[in-house]
Amino acid sequence: MSETDESRITTNEAPAATPPKATARKAAPGKRAVKKAAPKKTAAKKAASKKTASKKAPRKAATRKPAAKPASVLIVGAGFAGLGMAIRLKKAGIDDFVILERGDDVGGTWRDNTYPGAACDIPSNLYSFSFAPNPNWSHSYSGGAEILDYIHYLVSAFGLREHIRFQHNVTALDFDARRGLWTAELEGREPLRARAAVMAQGPLSNARFPDIDGVEDYQGKKIHSARWDHDYDFTGKRVAVIGTGASAVQIIPELVEKVRSLKVFQRTPAWVIPRPDFRTPDWNKTLFRALPASQRAVREALYWTHETMAMAVIWNSPLTRLAERLARRHLRRQVTDDWMRRQLTPDFRIGCKRVLVSNDYYPALRKDNTQLITWPIAKFSENGIRTADGVEHELDCVVFATGFDVPKSGTPFPVRGRAGRELGEEWARGAQAYKSINVAGYPNLFFLFGPNSGPGHNSALVYMEAQLDYALRGVHRLLDDNLKLLDVKPTVQARHNKQLQKRLARTNWNSGCKSWYLTEDGFNATMFPGFATQYRAQMATFEDGDYDSEPR
Amino acid sequence: MASIDLEKMLAKVKASQWALADIDWDAPGAELVTEEQWPKLKAFMADLMWIEHVGARGFAAMARKAPNDTLKEIYTYFHAEEQRHANAEMALMKRWGMLDGDRVPEPNKNLRLVIQWLDRYSDDMPLEVLGSVIPMLEIALDGALCTFLLDTVDDPVCHQAFARINDDESRHLGVGFHVLEMQGHGDLYMKVLKTLGTILDPRLILGIASYAPLLNRMRDNVIAMGLGEERLYAAMKKFERIGGRTADGRRNPWYQIISRHGRIVVNRRQRFYHGPVDAMVRLTDLIPDRVMPSRVPTWVKGITYKPVV
Repeated sequence: MSETDESRITTNEAPAATPPKATARKAAPGKRAVKKAAPKKTAAKKAASKKTASKKAPRKAATRKPAAKPASVLIVGAGFAGLGMAIRLKKAGIDDFVILERGDDVGGTWRDNTYPGAACDIPSNLYSFSFAPNPNWSHSYSGGAEILDYIHYLVSAFGLREHIRFQHNVTALDFDARRGLWTAELEGREPLRARAAVMAQGPLSNARFPDIDGVEDYQGKKIHSARWDHDYDFTGKRVAVIGTGASAVQIIPELVEKVRSLKVFQRTPAWVIPRPDFRTPDWNKTLFRALPASQRAVREALYWTHETMAMAVIWNSPLTRLAERLARRHLRRQVTDDWMRRQLTPDFRIGCKRVLVSNDYYPALRKDNTQLITWPIAKFSENGIRTADGVEHELDCVVFATGFDVPKSGTPFPVRGRAGRELGEEWARGAQAYKSINVAGYPNLFFLFGPNSGPGHNSALVYMEAQLDYALRGVHRLLDDNLKLLDVKPTVQARHNKQLQKRLARTNWNSGCKSWYLTEDGFNATMFPGFATQYRAQMATFEDGDYDSEPR
Repeated sequence: MASIDLEKMLAKVKASQWALADIDWDAPGAELVTEEQWPKLKAFMADLMWIEHVGARGFAAMARKAPNDTLKEIYTYFHAEEQRHANAEMALMKRWGMLDGDRVPEPNKNLRLVIQWLDRYSDDMPLEVLGSVIPMLEIALDGALCTFLLDTVDDPVCHQAFARINDDESRHLGVGFHVLEMQGHGDLYMKVLKTLGTILDPRLILGIASYAPLLNRMRDNVIAMGLGEERLYAAMKKFERIGGRTADGRRNPWYQIISRHGRIVVNRRQRFYHGPVDAMVRLTDLIPDRVMPSRVPTWVKGITYKPVV
């Protein structure tokens, strides 16, 4: 039996509270948006009055462990993915779930990345949930603070806060096949059990520091882009930015205005295309509010525009050349010096690594107080950075815009499935899953942004919604049919991956450059080789025949 | 036989990094440069520094062409290391009071032509050409000019700096010859065709027109400083010897061309060569400044004598 329809349950239903008004606040600098954003009490209160099952008194103790009644679902992480899952569960009438969050606030990536200039590379109308539209985005591409406001709005509008356990750091997930339960081991707390588990810990949640000699010797200030220090005053300082990826191109134009000197250390230049950013006019917001269909139409248009980009970014096509031409023209217009242009021109195909979107990065590099340094970094010294041309750069502060440890192999904590198998070991040479969401041998476990679910051209949230619907169907199957376990068949998973890798071999990502999409051995465990439409089609069917199941 | 493991070489390169700050440029000994030596040494050092700097640009072009990531990264380091040598040599000049304030000495006209050529065309040259010319220049520097310097200049800081520079250069040469051999593999016929195709390329002809007089000018400089030109020639023969030690190396047509050219360079009796080339050296001196390429590429300005910036 297959099903394609059921999930459409609640899409586009407007949530209880009103969406956040666009804050006049500039993207990021200074205080985090967090505190202010906790708005609109109504929905939260409404939800709070409904006690969840998990909060009731513990069932008769059958084991020695403190045995609270297992929840239906436990979710690891309170970022976009975890909260999205919670909303879908709640709307489907499944109320006894918990969200385990290691931090003390929601927002994941957008809670952590509060560096000056933080923004999303996808237009806000597409980088938001279709079932919770926000007519008030201030810009076509909104800043991080506004996105975080939106996340806080989701929490209150859908009454999620009561489900979230902050400062609950999961240290392991264990599956008990006899009972069909997942146990989440927690740091310094009693473990928690549930019938299904959702890994929504996010691919970009652990800051990565580069492996450079002597980094511990350096005595000056160190800041990672994802752990910004808002108390540090950059005024008049000699600052270095290491890395020229997606975070760096947003930070650099902001920093250059404040610091005495800015040295940008680049290893590999990326392709940069212009960003069609503009402030949303008021009439537009009014229109969206009065006529939600108009906003849906805009979202559709944006969706298809981005789908077209897949042709340029994912595969090598005439559009790829066109995109490269666009990027080269952008560079030519903004940088006049030949040598600097050469330094900034990538020598790999566009799309192979993440394409950057910025209008103010190149101009920032041309400022008098900025210097682009392409010499390899030899080591850190006490006072700064020594480059291979033998020169020491004396610095007050080093900003590491070096990205994240993206899990392409292994897992963030031990995940033990049936018969003592351990996922980290199985994934040591590259992660694999079925439709990015289930892994054979690990029943009742759903991965959001699991292996090969990454988009290179479209909104991550579009992909995420497809995953949420799929996971919801799995959870429904478990609960409605009262199953002990639901486990994808290994043969099905193997077949799926064989096809996937065959298709990946023809993409630009696998065309020879080094990127965070690939493992050391060049295995692509990150990206989905196709249009978002194809990914959604893949996730739209839940084939019972693909799974082994056992009744409780 | 002579093949090296490029991965290991890269690791070694990374582990052997040094900085200007590792040397005490104010240590005693600067006075050991004699008054008689001083003016010639100044001209010599300025040329040397510029040649290193120009060699650096050659490696930048090679990094673009490298057939694999490891070699690409090695060339990226070599690019920086050549710049480091130029920086160190400028620091020596500063130490010896040879700099006009903070200013980088002007390159001679042959060098300016080479700079111009490198800037415009080197990125378009096949790896085979650069991969053969660069080891030739390196070996001339390593084998002749640097050892000569150490023979005539007693300043210990100079010795200290060149010990490090020579150390780097020996790795550059190791990789250089390895690549020469690597390119000797494959179909000879194809190689000859490709080589001929490149030779007929007008951009390369321009390159040759800058390279040949540069070698002769270096020879003249060396003689002016009192070094027997045999030393330079011995070094160039070394290129022929090491590059030709394996069949693969010898099969590389560019090795053949460059080493034959080297033989001609060292043979003063080759009047048909030296006549016109020496004339070109003199002629370039006569080119009025206003017709020299006026635009100086920005990479030329990246040089500094300061250990800490």
